[in-house]
Amino acid sequence: MNNENKSYFLEKETNTIIINRELTKLDLFVKDFLDILKKHANYLIVSGFVSISTGRTRGTEDVDCLVCKLDKANFAILLQDLFKNNFWCYQGDNLEELWEYIKNKDAIRFAKKEEMFPNIEFITVDESKPAKYFELTHPQNIKIQDFEFKIPPLEFEILYKEIILAGKKDIADAKHLRTFFSEIIQKEKFKEYEPIIKKELRNYTLK
Amino acid sequence: MSLKQIPKTDLDYVIFYAEELKENPKFFAQQKELIDSQLTASSELTKKRFSKKDFKNNVRKHLREIGLIK
Repeated sequence: MNNENKSYFLEKETNTIIINRELTKLDLFVKDFLDILKKHANYLIVSGFVSISTGRTRGTEDVDCLVCKLDKANFAILLQDLFKNNFWCYQGDNLEELWEYIKNKDAIRFAKKEEMFPNIEFITVDESKPAKYFELTHPQNIKIQDFEFKIPPLEFEILYKEIILAGKKDIADAKHLRTFFSEIIQKEKFKEYEPIIKKELRNYTLK
Repeated sequence: MSLKQIPKTDLDYVIFYAEELKENPKFFAQQKELIDSQLTASSELTKKRFSKKDFKNNVRKHLREIGLIK
């Protein structure tokens, strides 16, 4: 069977998972956002959108995006670019009030102007969040038509959903990923990632 | 569509669907329909609930009430 007839394949030369489907409205929203974000910061799309973009049949109205911590000047440039390109932020309209969130690594949300959903949850990450920082710095490329973006390694995303998030929806998402990507999942990676995720779980429990 | 075992639980259906989807990208069309219709519906609902005039402040007021923003 050639690659065009498959639902996905791994392009080994570029380590990119190619998904064989049309873009949805949700994809186009995320693509618009990432086209701007990519110019200014390192990022990673995590959680529900990873499963949905790879075929899980459920809805979502928010897309979680890890962003490497920016300094104030670069955040200001990014913010200006997002506002100029028809995004608005739930938490505020000006740099000073939004910088307080970024400085404290609190999440903020962006949607398209005059829309509330879908939205991007913009989650600032640095070394103080080891598991999130690990996935941010070990991305997996994925491509749907001309929409290219970065997600965590599949094995990491599965374990994170099973061990840390562990809700009904997350377990189902993990099961989808395990089943759909069974041909490219590497079992040894689970062993490599499990200690990182379990350490994160201990941090959660201690808080 | 081959049905090897009848799915019983929600997770059985997730597995069943993922197995079928893996072999047949045509199933993505159904998923697109679901996602697109959900976003169209939520956009319509938002527009009906919050008028264009002072949209952001009205949404923020609502988000504060439900505890999503400070």
